[in-house]
Amino acid sequence: MTADPNAATQSFPPRPPARPHDSPARYLVPALVAAAVAVGLGVYGKVHDPAGTAFNLAGFSSTGAVKSWLATTAFFFALVQVVSAFMVYGRLPGPSWSATLHRWSGRIAFLVAVPVAVHCLYAFGYQTYSTRVMWHSLLGCAFFGAFSAKMLLLRSERLPGWLLPLVGGLVFTALTLLWLTSALWFFRTVGVTT
Amino acid sequence: MKRPGPLLTLLAGLVLGLFMLTLNATSGTKTVSSSTQREASPSASPSASPKKSANTPPTPTVTPSPTPSKTPVANASYAGRTADDTASVAVTVRDGKAVAYFCDGRYKEAWLRGPVKDDGSMKLTAPNGAELDGKIEQGKKIRGTVKDEGRKYAFTADKAVKPSGLWRATAKVRGAKIDGGWIVLPNGRQTGIVTRDGKAASAPRIDPETGAVTVDGQQLTAQPVTP
Repeated sequence: MTADPNAATQSFPPRPPARPHDSPARYLVPALVAAAVAVGLGVYGKVHDPAGTAFNLAGFSSTGAVKSWLATTAFFFALVQVVSAFMVYGRLPGPSWSATLHRWSGRIAFLVAVPVAVHCLYAFGYQTYSTRVMWHSLLGCAFFGAFSAKMLLLRSERLPGWLLPLVGGLVFTALTLLWLTSALWFFRTVGVTT
Repeated sequence: MKRPGPLLTLLAGLVLGLFMLTLNATSGTKTVSSSTQREASPSASPSASPKKSANTPPTPTVTPSPTPSKTPVANASYAGRTADDTASVAVTVRDGKAVAYFCDGRYKEAWLRGPVKDDGSMKLTAPNGAELDGKIEQGKKIRGTVKDEGRKYAFTADKAVKPSGLWRATAKVRGAKIDGGWIVLPNGRQTGIVTRDGKAASAPRIDPETGAVTVDGQQLTAQPVTP
């Protein structure tokens, strides 16, 4: 992993540019944790016997609707993530609190996505009976793995400048595809219901 | 200096996830026990109260009872949705036998029949190869799966009292054989399919009070289904 001296790190004030002597553990630990999370979720989903419907929230007609709206909320905050990330990196004009915005929109998106994932894993498990479901299962596990890696990478300083945007982009792509294969599908087949 | 923020975020997600998981794992028994207590007084079912029949495990000393009124599984109807919310499932249990209807309201349907074991579990089959595996939990709900056309649908069906439950109407309208099935959920939602000479289509709504329904201009009356 060679660092590009012209990378965006320079325009990211709190982090000094990458240095040549990086300990491999800095990348290895997040990568291993990411793999463990993704594989662990997949194995749980495969081994656990699908229980059917688990919980519901007051005011919603079905768990499908609850999950779709939670997922849509997460997706909305994920869009905020992308915009605020560009602000943090100075690619878009942004307020001084854009870093805080990025942090908290990410936290909300993640925490809103967790109940959806718990329900998916508990009620349905890892399924492959159709293309949509297969991709959704796969990406669902990958998303939480990639997110764990992103969080752990944030704790290291002196990362190559392209790494965080890359991992963040992966997380966002996974979430977008997850939303397309679940909530959008739900709204299109069942209808936009609450 | 290491930032604690991202790690706290991860931990918060983990704690939230585990919390919801334990909620799910325990809520099944919790809500059931509390609601059976609530239900015990108004339901007042004739012979075996659902609470009693489901809570007492079938003791080995019990001899197979010849009279149907003594069957350990209480007669009841159950209706609910599949976990993915694409179809409805309704089950009616009478005298140790069950009939179930699985229906997505558009083109997928299956009528399933079979016996109910003393512990409330059942394996029902349909002529088209569909299978339903389910278990009555505390006389309050049926949890299980329906396998249809290679797909597996998890479902939960809560106990349903008339007019919700399972309805069927068969007739001949202008030479065409009409076979309609409806599931009315406790919240009033209906899912139904009318098959005209083997061709399935979405069904018009029935009047849940009387079972009256107009199919192709003909007034029919749907009946509650019993095994």
